[in-house]
Amino acid sequence: MVKTSFKLTPIFAMAEMELRRLRHDPLEIVTRAIQPILWVAVFGTVMARVRAFPSVGDYVTFIAPGVVLQSSTFIALAYGIMLVFERESGILKKLLSTPIPRSYIVLGRSLAGAIRASTQYVIVLASAAAVGARITNNPINLVLGYLILTYSCMGFTSLSILIASALKTRERFMGIIGAITMPLFFASNALYPLEVMPPAIQALSLINPLTYTVSALRTLLVVNTFNILNDFLAITAFVVVSIAAAMKTLNRIIE
Amino acid sequence: MNKAVEVKNVVKVYGGVVRALNGVDLDVDEGSVYALLGPNGAGKTTLIRVMTTQLRPNEGYVKVFGYDVVNQASKVRELIGYVPQEVSLWSDLTGYENLLIYAKIYGIPKDVRKRVVEEVLDFMGLKEAANRLVRTYSGGMIRRLEIASAVMVKPKLMVLDEPTIGLDPSARKSVWERIISCKKEFGVTVFFATHYMDEADKYADRISLMSSGKIITSGTPEELKALAGGDKVLLKVSNVSETLSTLSKLNYVVVSKVNNGEVEFIVNRSAEALPKVLKELMSNGVEVDEIKIHEASLDEVFIKLTGRSALQEVGRIKEVISARRMIRRGG
Ligand SMILES: Nc1ncnc2c1ncn2[C@@H]1O[C@H](COP(=O)(O)OP(=O)(O)OP(=O)(O)O)[C@@H](O)[C@H]1O
Ligand SMILES: [Mg+2]
Repeated sequence: MVKTSFKLTPIFAMAEMELRRLRHDPLEIVTRAIQPILWVAVFGTVMARVRAFPSVGDYVTFIAPGVVLQSSTFIALAYGIMLVFERESGILKKLLSTPIPRSYIVLGRSLAGAIRASTQYVIVLASAAAVGARITNNPINLVLGYLILTYSCMGFTSLSILIASALKTRERFMGIIGAITMPLFFASNALYPLEVMPPAIQALSLINPLTYTVSALRTLLVVNTFNILNDFLAITAFVVVSIAAAMKTLNRIIE
Repeated sequence: MNKAVEVKNVVKVYGGVVRALNGVDLDVDEGSVYALLGPNGAGKTTLIRVMTTQLRPNEGYVKVFGYDVVNQASKVRELIGYVPQEVSLWSDLTGYENLLIYAKIYGIPKDVRKRVVEEVLDFMGLKEAANRLVRTYSGGMIRRLEIASAVMVKPKLMVLDEPTIGLDPSARKSVWERIISCKKEFGVTVFFATHYMDEADKYADRISLMSSGKIITSGTPEELKALAGGDKVLLKVSNVSETLSTLSKLNYVVVSKVNNGEVEFIVNRSAEALPKVLKELMSNGVEVDEIKIHEASLDEVFIKLTGRSALQEVGRIKEVISARRMIRRGG
């Protein structure tokens, strides 16, 4: 009989599981990066040439953080499908019989999904820099940007777990995720500044957690300051609420 | 003897409609091997999921080593090792990595973790395959790795849901050899669900027959087979009348049929009784030319008690699965 201690090891173990998985099969990360790279390299450079949004300065630089976010949130939001699979396999059953509290399953898996999603940070930022985006080279800002992105993606992953728990089947899940991902992206400041949006979309984008994450990344990576407290608080509210809600609904996927 | 598991009047209703368990009672003695035998949909998995603290029963209670699975769930979880019916491994990790992750989830201390994992891999005969992705494993290897992850935590009770489902006979045998050696090595109590009669008969100390959410009867394999009315033995003999008069003196034998040169009789535990019978016949000068034995099987008991077979009806599996999907979808 093994004595269990209330350590966080089980949560990190689930993140480690994801990293090991990535190491065995890095291809998905690369293929996932193709679309965002095209956004920056093609869409970004074309729009920069027509100077559609003069207020934002260099357009490629402007959208780089937004496209990172778009790519990462897409992966994070799709992550809940893992729970649907694991419900059909025996993994979820097994996890439920282990001594860890059920909340650890949500915490561990949202961290795992966030880590998978955050791989886009490196790939997309590097590609953006390669086509001329002026991203800071201050390592502290870069690391903070990575942490903020991962943190925010924990919220999106638990949102995904929440949806998976409520819908229970892959078909329904994929349907909903497909339906919310693009609107989430468009109703944010990822591609254009808030000022140019119609008032209704602007209001939506102000309750969209993507907006705050993009804003924090822009401050850190483009403006090159640490002025992100408000964004951080907004992201925290989102992460806490969606993790708590995912913990509450997890019971529904069990039966 | 201490009870490892006590199940009392357990009722489980899924979604307010499917009555999967309908008043189940059973007791598992500490240190024993206990089989739950029943056809598809009998409720075996549901009982195991209640026992392993995944589902709450609607009525009744389950205690594992005296701890209630609802109110003292975390205590129970520290005592059990569990292999679900479906595969519980990450197929895109290696065998070693799967155990390492589970070891961390179970909180096996850092200083012994690596050794525990390596030892258990070796014990389960998976040392060579440890660094291969689980995706490349055979069904038997997958099951052995899952059993490894269950014994790794040194549980007092192992709960195995159809440990050999879908395996060929030699893989089934090797899985059982490992389970038995775990039991010998660690004295762990084993509770398993199966629809393979021969496994229950061969490996279990006690068996409960389950059908439609109820335990129909429980007992040792011998007791249950005696319910079928014993084994049938057919002898081709040189002298029928002498045979009949010899057999009539043996109180443990009942003659059931006689026809030209052949005598059929019923006896419990033919393997032990038959040598004695033959000795009697020979000392009375009867020559036996041919022996046919039809051993009573648990399936016969099952049919006798429920009117249907416990054997898996292969053609039905698919239907059962799709029916279950529909229930899950709620449609
Ligand atoms: N999650 C669920 N939701 C609704 N009904 C369920 C669920 N799981 C099982 N059932 C139903 O409960 C009954 C018992 O199922 P259970 O899986 O416990 O049987 P079993 O004896 O393990 O069968 P099998 O040999 O097929 O594994 C069946 O009628 C099944 O369809
Ligand atoms: Mg079952």
